[in-house]
Amino acid sequence: MNRVEHIMGLPISVDLRDGDPSLVDEAFEWLREADARFSPFKSDSEVSRLGRGELSPDELTPDLVEVLDLCAWYEEATGGAFKLCLPGRGLDPCAVVKGWAVERAGEVLLGGGARNFCLNAGGDVFAAGEPTPGKPWRVGVRHPEDADKLCVVLAVRDGSVATSAFYERGEHIIDGRTGEPARGLLSLTVYAPDLTTADATATAAFAMGLEGVEWAAAQENCEVFAVTSDRRVMQTAGLPVEVC
Amino acid sequence: MKRAIPVLVLSAAGLVPVWLFEPGAEEPLTDVAAPVTEAPAQTQAQTQTQAGTPQAANKTVKGKLIKTSEGDVQVQAVFQGTKITDIQVVTAPNTAPTKKALPLLKQSALQAQSAKIDTVSGATATSGGYKQSLQSAIDQAQ
Repeated sequence: MNRVEHIMGLPISVDLRDGDPSLVDEAFEWLREADARFSPFKSDSEVSRLGRGELSPDELTPDLVEVLDLCAWYEEATGGAFKLCLPGRGLDPCAVVKGWAVERAGEVLLGGGARNFCLNAGGDVFAAGEPTPGKPWRVGVRHPEDADKLCVVLAVRDGSVATSAFYERGEHIIDGRTGEPARGLLSLTVYAPDLTTADATATAAFAMGLEGVEWAAAQENCEVFAVTSDRRVMQTAGLPVEVC
Repeated sequence: MKRAIPVLVLSAAGLVPVWLFEPGAEEPLTDVAAPVTEAPAQTQAQTQTQAGTPQAANKTVKGKLIKTSEGDVQVQAVFQGTKITDIQVVTAPNTAPTKKALPLLKQSALQAQSAKIDTVSGATATSGGYKQSLQSAIDQAQ
């Protein structure tokens, strides 16, 4: 079955090839809950309340602590290029929350017995099993300059793919070290075993600019496909590229 | 150029603790190092020239192969005149920490392709932009 819902301002598609279809309801239910609890755009979310100083440390839920820990880790690991709090903006863990929440939605499907499915949340992909026996999920990476074209196709079985780029929403990734939009890359894609890692690594590396490519490649279990501003492709050798 | 060899040996020796550190699960390194191993120095220099700065005076010198408990280690240096401009791994043990210590990135030109796919990865597609997207077309086809 295939279903699309719009949550967190994103189109989220589920392509379920086996298992109980009601699992999809459960997964979407979790995503709506994650949006309500962690969106910085909802004034009564846990994140907004924390940002306004209305929550004391012992009132934080384990989920929020996990998200904040992840943000802190990436901020440290990128030398501040990836920042949880940017000047002029409130507390915004969006860059980590999306991948983390969709990873959890994938775990809901797996926990309910589904083995073969693909979740796509605004271009972040969580793939499990195979679409048809013996075939991997074919995950196309959008060409950074031509929305109707791809720049590479990955063959994925039980893995995640996330991309950061300039082409949507304008220059929305800020290099926390300079406060300026990140430069040097047109797009950067990370393939990792889980979507939390893939999404956060792609976002953090993109914020770092060119040096982010090697940084992402050095992260544990991460494979990278990056397009630089001068239209060169840099990719790690372990990337599961599908030969078309 | 003779001074290059001790430098390379030292470089490789310096890398040994990195490999010995935190030996993790076996992970195939794929064929990263293999093509470089066989490449004659001149070809290597030309490749460098094409990929990077347009200088003709590049020379590549291989260091001594060093045997470690984790496997063989060998690096090579690219010289521009007397200056080392790049150190490359020729041979590295086939373990995960090795790969993570030295990310090896292949370079190529950006290409546009069309292919039959199951899903699309791209930077955050907004709900507004979704209607015109490839992913929307895929969702509707099912």
